[in-house]
Amino acid sequence: MSPAARTVEHVTCLGCGCACDDIAVVVKQDRIAETRNACALGTAWFGDGRIPQDARVNGRTTSLEQALGEAARTLEAAKRPLVYLAADLSCEAQREAVALSDRLSAMLDSLTGAAAAGVLAAQRRGRAGATLGEIRQRADVIVFWGVDPAERYPRFAARYAVEPRGLATPRGRASRTVIAVDVGAGRGPADADARVAIAVGDEVDALGVMRATVQGRVASDEARFRGSPELARRMSEGRYVTLVADGEPGTAPGDPDRAEALVTLAQALNGPTRCALVVLRGGGNRSGADAVVTWQTGFPFAVDFAPGFPTYRPHAGAAALLATGEIDAALVIGSPASIPEPLVRGLAGLPSVAIGPRASTATFQPAVAVDTGVAGIHEGGMAFRMDDVPLPLRPPLAGPPTAAGALRSLRERLGA
Amino acid sequence: MYDPANGVDGQVRDVCIEGDRIVADLPASAPRLDARGMIVMPGGVDIHAHIAGSSVNQGRRLLPEEHVADPVPAPRLADGATARSGTGGTIPSTFTTGYRYAGLGYTTVMEAAVAPLAARQAHAELDDTPIIDAGCFVLLGNDDYLLRQLAAGESTRAREYAAWLLGVTRAYAIKLVNPGGVARWKTGGAERNVSGIDDPVGSSSVTPRKILEALAGAANTLGLPHPVHIHCNNLGQPGNVATTLATMRALAGQRAHFTHLQFHSYGGERGKGWTSAARHVIEHVNAHPEVSVDVGQVMFGPATTVTADSPVEYLLHASTGRKWVNLDIELETGCGIVPYSYKETAAVAALQWAVGLELFLLARDPWRVVLSTDHPNGGSFLSYPRLIRLLMDRAYRDEQLKRVNQKMLAGSALRDGLAREYTLSEIAVVTRAGPARLLGLKNKGHLGTGADADVSIYANDPDRAQMFATPRHVIKGGAVVVEDGQLRRAPAGRRLVVRPEYDPAVTRDLQRFFDDYACVAFANYGAEPVA
Repeated sequence: MSPAARTVEHVTCLGCGCACDDIAVVVKQDRIAETRNACALGTAWFGDGRIPQDARVNGRTTSLEQALGEAARTLEAAKRPLVYLAADLSCEAQREAVALSDRLSAMLDSLTGAAAAGVLAAQRRGRAGATLGEIRQRADVIVFWGVDPAERYPRFAARYAVEPRGLATPRGRASRTVIAVDVGAGRGPADADARVAIAVGDEVDALGVMRATVQGRVASDEARFRGSPELARRMSEGRYVTLVADGEPGTAPGDPDRAEALVTLAQALNGPTRCALVVLRGGGNRSGADAVVTWQTGFPFAVDFAPGFPTYRPHAGAAALLATGEIDAALVIGSPASIPEPLVRGLAGLPSVAIGPRASTATFQPAVAVDTGVAGIHEGGMAFRMDDVPLPLRPPLAGPPTAAGALRSLRERLGA
Repeated sequence: MYDPANGVDGQVRDVCIEGDRIVADLPASAPRLDARGMIVMPGGVDIHAHIAGSSVNQGRRLLPEEHVADPVPAPRLADGATARSGTGGTIPSTFTTGYRYAGLGYTTVMEAAVAPLAARQAHAELDDTPIIDAGCFVLLGNDDYLLRQLAAGESTRAREYAAWLLGVTRAYAIKLVNPGGVARWKTGGAERNVSGIDDPVGSSSVTPRKILEALAGAANTLGLPHPVHIHCNNLGQPGNVATTLATMRALAGQRAHFTHLQFHSYGGERGKGWTSAARHVIEHVNAHPEVSVDVGQVMFGPATTVTADSPVEYLLHASTGRKWVNLDIELETGCGIVPYSYKETAAVAALQWAVGLELFLLARDPWRVVLSTDHPNGGSFLSYPRLIRLLMDRAYRDEQLKRVNQKMLAGSALRDGLAREYTLSEIAVVTRAGPARLLGLKNKGHLGTGADADVSIYANDPDRAQMFATPRHVIKGGAVVVEDGQLRRAPAGRRLVVRPEYDPAVTRDLQRFFDDYACVAFANYGAEPVA
């Protein structure tokens, strides 16, 4: 290591929802030279830490002060503003964003709008869950339901669910039975101890058959559900069963009833044994947005402040309002690259303010763009793991203005 | 003025405030707030409520229908200061929680169950909960590290660990919830809970009794301002009076606080009905000055049960069919949530209501029996004024008693006729002076020189529920936060923390335990700001 290098230990990576906090970041000449322990996805998320540091109005570079002044004017003039929380924000920035939404009587939504099915199912039925470390300590039967975490959550298996030794799983992987459930093209891990295949159209019914089996009721003996009762019995025989499913949208739209069927199966399994459902969530502190918006408003996403108080519009959030043309200006906070494509198209025709990492590169051409640091790389504070465990951020680099700071300045300009 | 800590019982006095403190006197030219004819008390102190943190926020997320039904526009503050809108229900949003507590004249609230792993979140939520001063009770007693120390006979190390944990989580007191029972629930398979204080937990040498002794001893040896705060085993089960009394006897002679005692004072047997055992429990409390309690009164209406006692919540879900959250928290504790409603027509709810009132009315020393509903478990903190009226107004209480389901009330002292009516001074004790003293908050709960300038001023309304629901003025830290019945200022509250000393050797052992088992870096654990 050259004398100029320094290493920052225990850095939390927000590349995916695993939020691994064991990353050692080696910094040389203000660039990230190495990210020890990080997976490929994490290494790409950190990059070399270089990031644009611009403030622009209508595409032209200006001072931060002028940009924020113009942002305040744009938002103040709006009748139906949208505040949108994208990825790579600290909870501190998210708290500022909710305050701004309250002040602007805005529609507030987040990336969770695209993963709403799981949130709404949990609101209807509850959860049977555990933090990821509890899975590591105890899970002796793990069922991956149409997901191989290696793809979007690369260290999940190594850190939490499969390989590590735990209190009740002293031999690690050998202490556990891994079952892959392939749902159409959504395949479980290749190295599973057993596999069950379910057609996409049969998924929710299969979960219902499994629940009925767990509850000791006579279930269907139709051929297409043949594997389901047996799978349910194997799960019932586990000591601490874990069901893992992906909460983020896939390439094909999933069955909207799937999330609720998974919750109720996991809850039913707590009759004969213990069971936890893990719903995988993406990176950039998405779960933090849910938590912060919930504690400040009572709702996790799609919160409309238009009446002068928070109301819940889970079926009329950012995507719906942009599609109908109701929104007349937007404040987009966070990394623009994380925003789903239909929303980007909706934003393109609007006067908008983008504040966040690489805001100046946003393809929807915001009227005002303020580049900030990335939470966890240039900006400290708190972020949440996908299982709602809060973690501190240890930014290895100094950087552009922080998102939390820029939002606070904007709020002060708006007299809030 | 009702300032029982200073022997003031309804005398006419001035309260002098300079900055955030009460002082002996002020120049005649000082501005005045006219409280003639009104009732003046210290600001309220809630010794046990669930208002912030991971479990509370899971509960908030579970209740969109309650929040839709109770929208709260931002209050209009003086001087154009910004306030925040929010939502209410049994678990209000953070800003609304602060405003509503202050709106009742409460200025200090203890968050009673913080999982160490999520302490950082609890503090962030409290940062967004204005006006009230707040402290956190940190959950211990089902955590694997502690159980290991007890299995190994390392009681000194267990104490050092507790001291370290209080500091890194920025907590105020040690909380036990169903000691050993939650650990068993998480073990999986057929093990669901403990049945009493002598069941083995993992190792045959670890029992709820051992956990209780170790942590009660730790709190007392460390000289913490509040003793160990205990939620006993077998909450909500018929016949649990045996466990409750066994727990109290196990800690005889040591200071200990038993929380939401109402939920632990039932006779009867599972499957054979419930009875009130309030008299047995409160007689023990009356006879043992080292014991303090809060009641955890059940109030008819909506509630949300939210607790680290996750096996109990499974039973409630299974028996009611209501929606249910369970969250096992790695190496530490659990979380269970079930929305609930206490109905006058329901036999068990009526019994629970009666048991709580019996505990209040048969208590001989109000300084050791604190008013609480275990918010939001027995009902919202917004029901405190109605509870106060139940204690102060026998006719009101008897009228309500006639309406409730009588099936399980045979043998209840309440039905035998309890004539006692709390005085205003006794109310000031059970809502302010008593909890402040039990928490060791020397500057709270009284109006003597040097006290924090937290003052509640009520119109002397003969309807005590109305009176306590709508204070005329509330002063917090010297700021008039409620003025003529309107919330006008919302300063940030302070955090109440302890930071006991410990032998740093314990952190080396903890580091090894974290390296072997934890999924969070030792350096990232807790709630302290990182460098």
